[in-house]
Formats: sequence, structure tokens, C-alpha cells
Amino acid sequence: MKNILLGIAILLIFPVSMAQEIPIKGDQLFGNLKARHIGPAVMSGRITDIDLHPTKDNIIYAGAAGGGVWKSTDSGTFFNSIFDEHAQSIGCVAVDPVDPDNIVWVGTGETWVRNSVSVGDGIYKTTDGGTNWKKMGFENSERISGIKINPNNNQEIYVGVLGALWSDSEERGVYKTTDGGETWNKILYINETTGVADIAMDPTNPNILYASMWQVRRSPWSFNSGGEHSALYKTTDGGKNWNKIHNGFPNGKLGRIALAIAPSQPETVYVVLETEEAKSNGLYRSDDGGNSWEHLNNNFELVVRPFYFSRITVDPKNPDVLVKAGLYGAISRDGGKTFKNLGNMHPDIHDIAFHINNSEIMYVGTDGGVYRSWNGGSTLEIVENIPVSQYYHVSVDDAEPYNVYGGLQDNGSWYGPSAAPGGVKAKHWNSVGYGDGFRVLKHPTKNIIYSEMQGAANVWRYDVDRNQTKTIQPMAEKGDPKLRFNWNPPMALSNFYPDRFYMGSQFLHRSDDMGDTWTKISPDLTTNDPKKQDQSSSGGLSIDNSGAETHTTIFTIAESPLDENIIWVGTDDGNVQITQDGGKTWTNTVANIPDLPKNTWCYKIYASNFHKGTAYAVFEGHATGDMNPYAYKTSDFGKTWKSIITDDIIGFARSIHEDYENENLLFLGTEFGLFVTVDGGQNWSRFTNNMPAASVMYIALHKKTSDLVLATHGRGIIIIDDISPLREITPEILDKEVHFFSSKPFVMKEDSGFAENFGTETQFIGQNPSSNARIVYYLNKRHTFGKMELEVQDMEGNKIATLNAGKSKGLNIVDWSFTSKGPKIAEAKTLSFGGFATPRVPAGTYNVVMIKGKETFTHTIEVVYDPNTIVTPQGREERQKMVEILFDMNEELAYQVYKVNTTIQHAETLLAEDPKSKKVSEAVINELNTLLKSMVITTGDNYVASAEPELREKLADLYSGVVNNYDKPTGAQMANYESVKALYDEIMDRYESIQKKEVSKYESYLSKNNKESLSFQTKEEFLK
Amino acid sequence: MKTFKLLFLVCFITFNMPIVAQTADEIINTYFENTGGVENWAALNGVKMNASVNQGVDIPVEIYQLKDGRQAVIVNFQGQEITQFAFDGETMWGTNFMTMQAEKSDSEMTENFKKQSLDFPSALFNYKDKGYTVELMENETIDGAETFKIKLTQKPIMVDGKELPNISYHYFDTDSFALIQSEAEIQQGPMTGQKSISKMSDYQEVDGLYFPFDMGMGGQSIKIISIDLNPEVEDNVFAFPEE
Repeated sequence: MKNILLGIAILLIFPVSMAQEIPIKGDQLFGNLKARHIGPAVMSGRITDIDLHPTKDNIIYAGAAGGGVWKSTDSGTFFNSIFDEHAQSIGCVAVDPVDPDNIVWVGTGETWVRNSVSVGDGIYKTTDGGTNWKKMGFENSERISGIKINPNNNQEIYVGVLGALWSDSEERGVYKTTDGGETWNKILYINETTGVADIAMDPTNPNILYASMWQVRRSPWSFNSGGEHSALYKTTDGGKNWNKIHNGFPNGKLGRIALAIAPSQPETVYVVLETEEAKSNGLYRSDDGGNSWEHLNNNFELVVRPFYFSRITVDPKNPDVLVKAGLYGAISRDGGKTFKNLGNMHPDIHDIAFHINNSEIMYVGTDGGVYRSWNGGSTLEIVENIPVSQYYHVSVDDAEPYNVYGGLQDNGSWYGPSAAPGGVKAKHWNSVGYGDGFRVLKHPTKNIIYSEMQGAANVWRYDVDRNQTKTIQPMAEKGDPKLRFNWNPPMALSNFYPDRFYMGSQFLHRSDDMGDTWTKISPDLTTNDPKKQDQSSSGGLSIDNSGAETHTTIFTIAESPLDENIIWVGTDDGNVQITQDGGKTWTNTVANIPDLPKNTWCYKIYASNFHKGTAYAVFEGHATGDMNPYAYKTSDFGKTWKSIITDDIIGFARSIHEDYENENLLFLGTEFGLFVTVDGGQNWSRFTNNMPAASVMYIALHKKTSDLVLATHGRGIIIIDDISPLREITPEILDKEVHFFSSKPFVMKEDSGFAENFGTETQFIGQNPSSNARIVYYLNKRHTFGKMELEVQDMEGNKIATLNAGKSKGLNIVDWSFTSKGPKIAEAKTLSFGGFATPRVPAGTYNVVMIKGKETFTHTIEVVYDPNTIVTPQGREERQKMVEILFDMNEELAYQVYKVNTTIQHAETLLAEDPKSKKVSEAVINELNTLLKSMVITTGDNYVASAEPELREKLADLYSGVVNNYDKPTGAQMANYESVKALYDEIMDRYESIQKKEVSKYESYLSKNNKESLSFQTKEEFLK
Repeated sequence: MKTFKLLFLVCFITFNMPIVAQTADEIINTYFENTGGVENWAALNGVKMNASVNQGVDIPVEIYQLKDGRQAVIVNFQGQEITQFAFDGETMWGTNFMTMQAEKSDSEMTENFKKQSLDFPSALFNYKDKGYTVELMENETIDGAETFKIKLTQKPIMVDGKELPNISYHYFDTDSFALIQSEAEIQQGPMTGQKSISKMSDYQEVDGLYFPFDMGMGGQSIKIISIDLNPEVEDNVFAFPEE
């Protein structure tokens, strides 16, 4: 009730304030079918950059690796996403120093270029604090490392573009605009392999800038940081001339260079170098604006993984206090001579920002979200509401509600419920694996979970009930070469044998005993190209052989749901292999795939649910610089393949799922979101309803609920509940004015547990699905003019409930809570909360009736009782009987109270105008007022000053008690009923006798004196 | 309450539909023209709306809005009259739900409300005279319909002691120029920065003016049952009841 009233207030303050073409697409098709987010935020995800408002200390912006931009206006207590519609991989965020309330720049494309890094698509500007964004160029920049705005003239901006990671590109270097971003000039460019890693502007002289140039390249099998072109440059004339400033640097090649100016003493500049020799790596300081450098420190935190941690932040008030990002992050308070680690928080620190006024307060961006320190980095607390978890994979089980399983970048493996009392909270998530997590699978019949870490260094079989794990990864046997497992190693369950479990190295391994023993059922299915197998020297100047670049591996395994002997395997080096005899023989079909560049990574094969020979294969070549989407379908075991990609698709594709019932309904996940086709790939629609442009790495479809469950790499798990209406969409339906979609019988759940919220005030809480009847219809036009009503009727045409009709063009989803109207409650001095209880309808069929203008559309639905309940049919019957009795008694009382009040008012009016009536009118007034006091509460308030309950309150409370139980009324309730009924009868008798005596005399008086007689609405009118 | 007439739809389609690119002013003006005419809206002195909110039980709501800025929303339920809020031009107040006593709103909220006291019949109406500005943004699809998006900037408001811009967005169907959605940014609490969205539909005519008879918020509809134009309203509806 309170919420509604509040809603009214807000509202009021404001507004007065197939062969055939699918004719509509996107938002016009999906209407108000919306995604819901369940996070989790318990481990948050990688934060790449933090920027603060320069004068308002409560405003913070945080950019995420795959989760967009988040803004806090309360010093980091809450963050909200403000960049949903655009590329979610963020390189940098820059608040305009001249108009910081309104203008913010975002450079997309993360610059902490790990193997799994995503891509950006340019630079964006908002002029209203983040509500609306406009792209301002650099479409092909892939990643932006820095944006520096002249504090005296915000039309003059410098942008550092790191550029393409996996290919040559000329769109990199330092760019400058003098017209607020309308036009850009490239003012520092080295070559097509070298971009800007870091850029800094002297806060006191915006013509002085430093830029560190980084020669870098990734391939699917290697990483190379550094080269002769990496260098540090300085300009003192706004970018007209740049000079290399290496006086004091070691000779030879350099790698990534971190860079920071001390804001309080701009001649002091710090850099962190990656060099050819370990001893010369680390921190260098200049106190003469870069003319000369002194090497100060090469502690672990200063030199660790330069490609991931090259960030230095200097205290804005003290040039000798600086923090270096790193595995743990480290702070120096002596100008860089010595460092100590920051306090305990999630490892892998990428950015640190000092509070604008108080340097004790720090904000830190890590692989596990944003942390705050109130004491100079000694202790830290996590922000609990940034759900930017980076899933690699998702699977579901058949529990009710079903659980969602998956692994995350640097944040282990987890499972949690798709719904929970009060929403999915941090406490509902369970850890089931260390390290980087990838695929997590629930055993089909036992309470056992398989999970893994990077490169299958561990594959765990976790017995949930016993809390015991066993590591079960396949290992090289005598005569085997070294097994090559992908960083994200494939595992798969069998559709036929619950204990069967597949894993892929370069071989396909099969276990029939849950991983205790393994059999290789294939030869090396990859290209086995030795040029792609030497990772020992990967990394460039700093060796970085983490296993992240292991290549020529199997990446996807798909056993046909129709035939256990048909197994598909896709490899990261572009093979698509099929066996039709359970692994005895294999055929590589990739040569049959048209227009697919050689060796393009096969990211996903999906074996069709409908035909043995049908499968879908998704490829992506982003790690060779090919950003095109590739998805193909074969219907003949791979002899021929046909592309199902159209121009509708944005971003390279990684995942695909076929519907279980309609083979033309397909879901495709790309780097920039989810795409849906209802005609087998001839037309695709981007799904954007509460769905950010996040990378959809993997898709699961829950068989029973038809929920589409998306593993996003940066926005956690996103669910679209019950996509079954999409199965029915045809051009014919889209031609109709109104179409109701069919539905399975709706189950009236009888859950009534407790949802506690203690300590969750600042947590992200995942949204629950609706447990109501979900009525879905299509409108061919948004309903704007004239009346439109939607109601539920019983089969005799009696109105049961009024629904809030959806009026969108496209799909409309309307909830019905299975309840009919509540009883009309007697008027009194206070509110009877029991009167708000609305009774559930009995199981059966009902009509949903839409009255739209002059037309009426009817759709029949069925509702059934919860099969998983403790309630017996007899119990339900008894309850129903009692509900009806009490409902009627409440309404009868309301009517009688109405009559009493009307009579009293009548008598009072008469008394005032006709003193002669005193005898009869006072008798009525006194008797009825006394009666009324026993009927309803006539004093007190709605809280602790409430009066003792009278008949109305006793009756309504008993009624709501019976309504809110699903089972038969308790013995106590029945005994209470007898007591309330006795009181009810007594009061009604008293009223009758007053009517016979005092009221009757009063009426005679009226009649004799030609006064207006007493008149009442009929009960039917009253209850209307 | 008069029923919706086909004529209305015809008017919408045939009148005032410039084919060329629209300006914000043209869109706003066409909206007011199509819904009864700018002059008629200007001549309107107030409305009383009888509405209903369905919460399992129907909760009757009376909404008063007068040209002089006075407003009230009153809920009648189980014999209780609960003033959700009322504003008499100076004082904003509402009924405390626990004690059923009138309580004044905090001064910040009252001052913010006062700033909008010229917003009858709409903040967009004569927006220039009130010192507001509008901007036409890129078209957006709302409820599957192509819409013109207009950004309205009103006078700044104060929230928790800080001055904040007062910005809202209004979406007009490109076919009919009907206002189908308005959004305001939430300025405080955990949802800060997100939008509160109001949807308008079921436009119907009342004595020559067209009003949305269904206003939805978060899936909850406020259904208008009837609208009285230029109603006579007792002062005590708006005035804070002194003890």
C-alpha cells in the first residue's frame, strides 16, 4: 500500500507534471519481454579505470573490463551503471575539469591486455553527467588508454590510443582536438604496431604532455610486449613537437611504460619501465620534468606483469607518496625509494584514485571490483553492488528454482540459485573452484559438480553433500605427448550416461566413471602446428608463460542429443571434427565451410536437437584481428555448411543455442550482446530490453522453464524468463492486431517462506522471476488512444481480477497473481490491514479478456495447484469454504456499518434542523453509536496507539489468516471463528432490535413529518 | 466522461503532421494542438481526476491540480481519508500513515515543489515563459513505437542540501504526436541516476481536451475514471489542517 501511494506521488509530481520476411525486428518485436540480472556481485569483476569529480568529493566513476561505466554519487556506497548501450570494455574515463557536472568522456577498449581482453569501439562523450552518450570517433581504435582535457579550455583534448592488439593498425598514437571532439588530428604516431600506453598532462601547463608508446602484439598463441619502438615522449608545445626523454634509461628495447606526474610538483615525474634486464626494470623518478631519470626500485610489485599493472598514481598533495598497481598494489611514502603492499583486498590492482581532499581515502580498482580505504590503503572494504562478474560459461540444473553454474575471470567457479526469497543475494552464491573459473557442470543425477581452473591444472569433482573434492583431470600417459589444454578447457556431459564426462586437450578424453579413469577417443584433432606451441618464450621482454596462450587445443565438444556416437569437436586453430562412431573415426569438415578464413577459432559447436546431421558452428577470429561474426549450419554431418549471419549482427560471435522446440529459433551471443532469430537465421534481432551491450560468452536454455540464461563476460548472469512465446512467432501472427500466446498451465506456487534482508542494504540483489501467471500477447501497434482493459473472468463471465494491461507494440507480458478481488471492508477510524488479503482462485480454467476500443479478445488459461506442497485437496477445500464464509461476513459487516453510519448521519442532520425530533433522533444516534463502537474501531491510530480490535478487525484478521494459509484452517482458527461468529451474530441481532425499535420509531417520525426518508444503496450497489 | 471518438484519431492523423524534420517546439506545439488546442489548454483552470489504483482491492484516488499551483492527491479507503500530499502554494504536507495526522513535508521538498507550481497543465506548456529549455534528442523506440525524445530542463532543485539539475525526458509518438512516456532521473537513494518512468495511454476526450486515462508506473496503472474540468474545490483540500 505504502509503495503504491508513493508511486502515485512520484507519478503525480512528474507528469502533470521464412521464406517470408519477418516484418518487425528488435524492440518492436520484443515489446516488454525483459531480461533480469542476478549478478552476482559477491566477487564483482575487473575494474580498469577510476576517475573522480574534481570538486565534488562524492562523485566517482569506475570503468570495467567488460561491464561498462558505473557512477556513484555517494562516495562509493552505491554505483549505478550508466553505459549499458555501448561497448562494455572500458579503457579510461575522464571527467571534464571545466564542466565536471556534465561532461564526461569514456574511451572504450580495455588496455590491461590479458588474453581474454575485450574490444572497444571508440570514444564517447556525455554532456549531462552520463544520461546520454554520443560517439565522438575512433571507431576502429579498439582501445583508448587516456584522455587529457585542458583545464583552461575544455575544447582542447588529447587522446591516447593504444589501438589494435591483435593486428596492425594506423588508428593509434596521440590525437588532439581543439573543437571539443568534432575533429581530431593525429599528433604523435610511431607505426602500426605501437600505440599509447599512458599519457599525462602537466596540470599547471597543459602544453606539457608525456606519452609512453608501447610496441605490443598478441596472437592466439603468443604475447609480445616491447620492442625498439617503445619509448617515452614529451611535448612542451601542445603536441607540435615530441622528444624522446630517455636520459637515465637503460639501453635496448623497452616494453610497457607506466607514467605519472606528481600533481603538486609537476616537475616530478615517475615512470615504471619494462626493460631487457630484470635489474633495470621498475621505478624511475625525474625531478626535472623528464630531462634525467634515476632508477629507484625494482621490487616485485613494481615489475610484475607490466601489460596488466602499469599504473602509478601520485598523491595529489604530496609528490613523495605514490601507489603502484600490481598483484597486491604497493605504496611508497618516501618518493619511491621503498614500498609496502597495500592492505588485504582482491588481488590484481589496476587503478588507484586518491580522494580529492583527503589522501587517507583511496578508491582502488581490482579484478574483484572497487575497494575503498579510509586509512591510506592499510585496510580496505569492497563495494558490494557492482555486478561486473566476467563469466566464461554457464550451465543450469533441474532443481526448483534451478541453479546457475559458471566460472569467472580470476574469480573462481560458482553456483547460485536463479531465484531466492527476497532476491538473489551475495550469501546465496557458493564457491566451487579456485583460480580462474571456466566451465562448471552439474552431474545429471547426483549432487556432484565438476569445475576446473585455467589450463585444466585442476579439474574438480565436488561432492556437494559430503563437501569433498577429488581432482580428476586427464593426464599424459606413457607414450603421450604433453597434453595441451586450452586456458578455458572444454568439458561436456553425456546426454545418455550420467557418469560419462568428456574433456578436450588436443585429444578428446572420455570418462565413464565421473573422471576416475579416462580413455582417449581421438587422435590429435588440432592442426598440431608446432609454430603455435612454444609458449615458453611468450610475453616479450617479460616472460609471461601463464598458460593463457596455450594453443592448438580442443575448445568445444558437442555430443549429439540424438545419438551418443555422434560427437563434434571444434578447435582453437580452426578444425571442425566429427565422429559418428563414438570416436573410432574422425572427419575434419572445416574445408567444407565457405568464406571462413583458415584457422579461425571454433568457439562453439551446437549439435541440433532435431536432426542427427544438423549442427551449428560459431567461429571467431578476433585474436588475429578479424572482428567479423561467423556462424554456420550444416544439415549433412558437415559435408556442406551455410552461413546464417546477416548484417543485423553486431560484433564477433562466440556462442549459439538452438531452441528445444522450434528449430528456427536460435540465440546468438556476440561481443556486443544477444541476437535472436525466429526464422532460422534469415533475420536477426538484437535483444536490448534491460540487456546491456555485454559480451555473451555462453548461452544456456533451461528445458523446463524455457528461461534463456546468458553468461556475460562483464555483467554476470542475465536471464530472460520463459522465451516460449518466441517459438510461436510467424509472419501471420505479426500481421494480427492482437495475438495471445499459448501457455502451459500456470502453477500456483504455495511457497511462503521468509526473506530476510539483514545487512544487505548496500548489496546488489539479483532480481527474482515472477511467480505469477504470465499472460503474453502481441499487439501490432502501441495502444495509445481509447480504452483498453484487461481482466480475468471465470468461465461464466464473472470478473475475477483487473490486470494492468501492457500496451507495447510487440510482446506484452502481464502478470496475474492468481487472486481475485479482496472484500470490501467496513469504514472505521483506522485501517484494517487484514482487509488487504486477496483470496487465491481455485484451480481451473479462466478467460483473460481484453477489451480494446470496441473489440474484445479472449484467451483461455489454465491454473493448477502446486504439485510440491504439503497441502491436501481436502484441506484446500475446507480453506476455500471458510474463505468464502469470512469474505461474505466481512462484506456484510461493511454493508451494515454503511447503513449504521448513514442512519446516524441522517439522524444528526435531522436533529440539527428539527429540534423537535430530539427524542427519536437522539435515541437512534446513541443506540447506533454504541453499536458502532462494537462493530468497528472508532479511536486510535494505525501503529502503536491502536485501539482494541472490534468485530471488523477480528473478522478481517481471521479472514486474512485463513487466506494467507494455503492449507485448511487450523483448529485455533476454527475455534476463533466460532467466537467471532458469536460476536457477529450478537451484533447483528442487536442491530436488528435497534432497527425494530429506535430506527423504526425514527422512520415513523420522518414519515409523519414529511421528512426525507432513510434510504440506502442496495448491497449490490454498495459493493460495486 | 466522454468516450473516445474515432474523429479524434482522424484529427491526429490528418492535422499537424509536418513531414519534414521536427523541432522540439513543433512537436510540443503539435501535441498541445492535437490534444485540444493551445488556447484551450491555456484557458483551463484546473482538473479533478477520480482515479483508481488496483491493488487486489480498488483504491480510490482523487487528484486535484489547479492552475495556481495548488495540488492534492487524496486516497479514500475503509473510511479513511489519506492525503498523500497536498500543496496550497506555500506548504506541502501529507497524512502520516501511522498516526493519520497531517505532517508537513521537509522544506527542501516544498521548495522544489513550489518551483513547479507554474507547471499546470504540464511542465512543457509554455515552457519558455517559465525559463525552462527543451532539446530534441535522437528518436527512440518506446513500447515498440518510434518516438521523438525531448529533454526538458527545469529550474534546478535542491536535494540533501545540494543543487541538482532538474531534467526530464518526454517521448512523443512520431505518428500521432501523443506523449506516451515521461522519465525523470531519480535524485536520491540507492537508485540515484536511474529513471522513474511514467507511461501514458488510453487518451480520451473530456470537453474538448484529451487526457491519458491510464498512467502506468513500474507495471502499476493509475486508471482515471473521470475528469472534471475547472472544478470548484474547497480551500481546505490543500491547506495544512491546523490543530
